[in-house]
Amino acid sequence: MINLRDKGAEFWERSNRPVRVLTVFAILAVVAALPYAGNTFLQTPVAAFDAVLVYPMGMFILMALGLNVVVGKSGMLDLGYVAFFAVGAYTMAILGTRTGLNTWEIMPIGIAAAMFAGVLLAIPTLRLRGDYLAIVTLGFGEIVRVTALNSEGIGGALGIAGIPFPPGLGFEYQLLDQKFFYWTILVMIVLVIWVIRRLTVRRPGRAWESIRQDEDAAELMGVSTYKYKIWAFVFGAAIGGGAGVFYASRSMVIAPDNFTLNTSILILACVVFGGMGNIWGVIVGATILGYLPDRFRFLSDARLLLFGLVLVVFMNLRPEGILPRKKREKAIVKKGSGASI
Amino acid sequence: MFDALFDQFWSLTFSGIALGFIYVLIAMGYTMVYGVLRMINFANSEIFMVGAFATVMVSKYVFKLSNDAIPPSSFKLFFVILCCLLASMLASALLAFLVELVAYRHLRNRTTNRIAPLISAIGIGIVISEIVRILTGARTQFSPNIIPKKALATFQGAEIRLDNTITIIAGLILFIILDRFIKYSRLGKGIRAVSMDEDSAKLMGVNLNRVISLTFIIGGLMTGAAGFFYVNVYENVKFNMGFSLGLAAFTAAVIGGIGNIRGAFFGGISLGLVEIYASAIIGTQWKPVTVFIILILILLFKPNGIFGEAVQKTRV
Amino acid sequence: MSKTILNLKDLTIKFGGVTALNNVNLELKEGEILALIGPNGAGKTTVFNLITGVYKPTSGNVFLGDVAIDGKKRHHITKLGIARTFQNIRLFGDMTTLENVITGTDVRNKVGLIGSMFGTPRSRREEKASVVKAHEILKFIGIDEYADRLAKNLPYGVQRRLEIARALGTEPKILLLDEPAAGFNPQEKVELAATIKKIRDAGYTILLIEHDMSLIMGISDRVAVLDFGQKIADDLPSVVQNNPQVIAAYLGVPEDAS
Repeated sequence: MINLRDKGAEFWERSNRPVRVLTVFAILAVVAALPYAGNTFLQTPVAAFDAVLVYPMGMFILMALGLNVVVGKSGMLDLGYVAFFAVGAYTMAILGTRTGLNTWEIMPIGIAAAMFAGVLLAIPTLRLRGDYLAIVTLGFGEIVRVTALNSEGIGGALGIAGIPFPPGLGFEYQLLDQKFFYWTILVMIVLVIWVIRRLTVRRPGRAWESIRQDEDAAELMGVSTYKYKIWAFVFGAAIGGGAGVFYASRSMVIAPDNFTLNTSILILACVVFGGMGNIWGVIVGATILGYLPDRFRFLSDARLLLFGLVLVVFMNLRPEGILPRKKREKAIVKKGSGASI
Repeated sequence: MFDALFDQFWSLTFSGIALGFIYVLIAMGYTMVYGVLRMINFANSEIFMVGAFATVMVSKYVFKLSNDAIPPSSFKLFFVILCCLLASMLASALLAFLVELVAYRHLRNRTTNRIAPLISAIGIGIVISEIVRILTGARTQFSPNIIPKKALATFQGAEIRLDNTITIIAGLILFIILDRFIKYSRLGKGIRAVSMDEDSAKLMGVNLNRVISLTFIIGGLMTGAAGFFYVNVYENVKFNMGFSLGLAAFTAAVIGGIGNIRGAFFGGISLGLVEIYASAIIGTQWKPVTVFIILILILLFKPNGIFGEAVQKTRV
Repeated sequence: MSKTILNLKDLTIKFGGVTALNNVNLELKEGEILALIGPNGAGKTTVFNLITGVYKPTSGNVFLGDVAIDGKKRHHITKLGIARTFQNIRLFGDMTTLENVITGTDVRNKVGLIGSMFGTPRSRREEKASVVKAHEILKFIGIDEYADRLAKNLPYGVQRRLEIARALGTEPKILLLDEPAAGFNPQEKVELAATIKKIRDAGYTILLIEHDMSLIMGISDRVAVLDFGQKIADDLPSVVQNNPQVIAAYLGVPEDAS
């Protein structure tokens, strides 16, 4: 059996800098060209392929990367991730329709608002463990939605309409041809991957991993668990908020109905499907789970059912996710006999 | 704003106590499982929903009850009630047993991934509610009236209705049976032993798998009964009904101290009353939020609940 | 006369109705190996938990130098220079041996999330230094060859030694070892004793819980004995070994002779 993942890792390790740069560019070029493949077997029956690439696929990837830091790496079950998405989206909706700011100006505000929501949620609840954290975060997500629903000032049940597209830089964002939206979100995804990779291989990544595996032992080894848990939450919230700003700007209309518990579950399923903690797995997972229901219509109504099955089946049978296991061990060859291994 | 509360105080109180008993029964599913597993049974809300649907199915399609037809005679009615109650209890118990088997059993010994069983249970809950949604078309299903809503008597201007009364009495009986069972029976002692110290219980010869399965089953029986009573009082079911009721029952369990059966009794009745009174004062659209806020406040300031044990302990 | 660096004063802790430790007084002198022994349930690990901040005492204090550290946060106590191993191995199983140690060394680094995110020169320097330091510790303990293996796949003996290496990563002044030789065969115990001596000679102070008497008598400077939460002896190993109260605690008081 060819283990693509290990082959890829070997290739990467053997290559020098120029080859690596070239590889990355090649992959990016292929991915960027995807919208042009809309008329192939990849075609989605109802929604346009390039629209599907943006939502749900691109958005799911972005949010799954954010949730992955919280759930996958740090082991904190956040069932209310949609709340940060909603905060970002509503920030965009409100400021976009009532002030003259454009999407890129609103983006940092939306991210900051989501991060603030993250801190607000994290501080009282991070002392809770496991199940209780899950329920409380679930509650938080619902509270945000119901508050939006009952607040006439921000549109109530009907939400907010007329949210402007982002300003194009020499091009125009369009509804019928979503290429520019797609490339924008691609840039966002690449940026997020880059930042997460940096964090993962350094102290924050180790801190999060140690918290996930044995929080008490981590704390006794000097890891400031409370601080790092808040960081994980806030970081994940920032990504969710950023995704929300983008989503609102592209969707033109948002309403509380767009931000239900189901969305939190969908993103969680992407993380589980891809393998918790594993960036590449999560990207592959979100891509597949985002794409399939739009490609095969019969799956579409059963989308939530499918995702629920993913949660149960993968947690029980394949918790490491769909990508094959990474062979991280180097054989102990030099030090002599094949003694107890 | 408070007028509605004072005018109808006793009527609201009876409704509140009846709702409270429904919460108590559902809370049994959460609190007992937490006692032996130290985990929340996330799928209990769907176990409740299935129990409720069982009553509707049996009364509507087996006994062909309907609000347009002639109501059945007392004897037949008694038989119908018994069958529906049993159907609900058994359906929920069976589902609870399956939930434990599929979602929890394989994963509960994993110590490195503590959230795996939770995710698995959430997944199962979703699968169940989605299957029901697809089968019933996401519409609210109305139940025929089973226990007639006659007034038995009046007290201070409030009607004492038959359906509320039966809910209260039957709920009380079930709770007392459960309480005695836990205290005096061999299985009950096994359950208590496991919830206090799993390792010692195993050393004393307790069959852990069996105790845990039976805990789920008993919780399922209670939760199913709650489904029956809910349908009697409210006469409707929907695939997602479990969510808010499950959440409220869970909150009740936490209020009383999770793992503590008598605490859950107190929590359930109190929450039922609080909820009915609050609806009279501020209306119902903020209800889910209020319950969550109560839960969060309790977990922050009194995580042991009023009577219970500590919610998490560091184990070194 | 070497100075006292850790001082347990009138340390008492009650859990509900049970008094796990009752007015325990113990001084740990700099540079010594002090063994804490006693029958199972005597309260030895509880002492460790009180020192490292897992529990707060019901009364009494833990002094590190002149500072009372009881009640401080656990990671803060580690920062102040106390590190421990565990009775049941609690490694980070999905990390490699090297990563486990580096997680320990991280506590001495200054760079946090922001620095790591932007890849500041300081963060790169600290990363490189951490890797070097971790390898040094692994070589010191003798398990450097396992550096890239996942901790959960290591042989038992290596895992026990990794626990010690990880604790050393935090650059402690005081090392608390909780039954480090559990499950070892005699040969491994001899090697472990040598390692513990080596650690002490490198400048660390060691508080050791162990059951193996020959191991303890071989390397300890002093032995303290706990029984039912109280200290019943605290002296040189040879003296403690012959203390009738200690013998009674372990073996029980003999029935009336026939």
